[in-house]
Amino acid sequence: MSDKLSPNRVADDVFEIRVDSSRQAQWIARTLRKAELAEDVVAGLETVCVKFAPASAQQVSDWLQGIDFAVDETLPDTPIITLDIHYGGEKGPDFEWVCEALNLSAEAFIEMHTGQTHTVEMMGFTPGFAYVSGLPEDVKIPRLSDPRLRVAAGSVGVSGAFTGIYALAGPGGWPLIGRLSKPLTGPISGAPIFFQSGQRLKFKAA
Amino acid sequence: MLRIRKAGLQTTLQGQARIGQRFVGMPYAGPADPLSMALANRLVGNPADATCLEITYGGFEAEIEIACSMALAGAPSDLAVSGQAHSFHKTLHLQPGDTLTLAPPVQGVRAYLAIHSAFEAAVQFGSTSTYLTAEIGGLEGRALRADDTIRARGSTTFGDTLETPEALRPVFTHQFALRATRSSETDLLTADSERALFSEMFTIGRQATRMGLALTGHTLTVESDGMMKSAPVFPGTIQCPPSGLPIVLSCDAQTTGGYPRIASIARCVRHLLGLMRPGDQVRLLHRAPEAALEDDQRKQNFFSDWLEDGF
Repeated sequence: MSDKLSPNRVADDVFEIRVDSSRQAQWIARTLRKAELAEDVVAGLETVCVKFAPASAQQVSDWLQGIDFAVDETLPDTPIITLDIHYGGEKGPDFEWVCEALNLSAEAFIEMHTGQTHTVEMMGFTPGFAYVSGLPEDVKIPRLSDPRLRVAAGSVGVSGAFTGIYALAGPGGWPLIGRLSKPLTGPISGAPIFFQSGQRLKFKAA
Repeated sequence: MLRIRKAGLQTTLQGQARIGQRFVGMPYAGPADPLSMALANRLVGNPADATCLEITYGGFEAEIEIACSMALAGAPSDLAVSGQAHSFHKTLHLQPGDTLTLAPPVQGVRAYLAIHSAFEAAVQFGSTSTYLTAEIGGLEGRALRADDTIRARGSTTFGDTLETPEALRPVFTHQFALRATRSSETDLLTADSERALFSEMFTIGRQATRMGLALTGHTLTVESDGMMKSAPVFPGTIQCPPSGLPIVLSCDAQTTGGYPRIASIARCVRHLLGLMRPGDQVRLLHRAPEAALEDDQRKQNFFSDWLEDGF
């Protein structure tokens, strides 16, 4: 992609840029962060938000509109990590209806989920939460209409065609299909952040 | 040097917000009401974001073990030093053996206790601020409890006795008008719901934390299939889940979310999110983004003589 960006003002101190994919969003956000003009640059799955100090509103706006991006979507070549998941039961209270919604048996869902390599598209929400792609694109699971106030650490949810891993306990709106059998322990010691975007994962039924 | 006897509902150490790390999922944390924290710090000669105690709903008692200068600002409540009544917004000079007690406030939620040179706390991810969900910063990443001892970073006595100018003291109330702008998915609201959002009075629900505050009283209608792609959110973002009950995100806000972002509280009034308690009433006043930033400039100017480095 080589394109001009058209920023949209989504708060008095935030511009938002719409992009086509999370890889583009990640790449653009990294490029913008390096320029150090904004207070904060955060990628979503199809957007990048740029939060700025009030004094630099015009400067940031001009800068965003003037940049020409050539996106490099190559993923880092890191070893695949395998995570064991307990599917269903108390640890995955939404597993049954998620399978029903997809017209799959529990076994067929697990086979689909464990049968391929997934990719961490982005980290976000709370420290360590991973947005993981890899489910077929026609999987469309809606979020809960009312988020849970507390989800256990290690919970695994699905939303749209994404798998989400809750590294920490906290509130959450994704239907839960299971839980990791072991808590995450990260490469960044002492920090609840375990993956970088681009990390490839495999799931295994515990 | 300060031993906690009663920690109240939730007392945490808070300093700088963790700006610039949302891309790894790290929320800002820091004070829920940064203006009150800056005012408390000013009275003991500290920078605006020097590490303070954020005391939630009072009920706090501590024993002072060294001569020190302290000050309180925020949700007003009865303050006593060794049984003698004292005021917020004035430098206090305390002696070893003194006991500082703080009653629950009638209005507002959080008081800030500053000490000259700042409280000592673990620096993690670039800040001392406690973020309870990830158990980082502050004292072991947790809320303080009875018998904890916290220390100051340096010399604790301050030569001056200062008072916050009367005009600069925030007003505490049960009714708030918050300036707000439209946001990315405001168009997903029906016309009636958008009108209600920017005109009706909402009530703060039972869920009112550092992460976010539930708005109740009006159920909005939002066109959403629950499958929006997760997008960045910030303190001040108002999300609307399919239930139609909006949530205003506050200082511990998650970094991304997948519910429609229907409005954003203006920068100049975001500190008020730290003042609101369940049952308080709030009305949103629509502002264009440019006008809202001008309001922020006026606010900064208003405080600039007293809080010279901003807050």
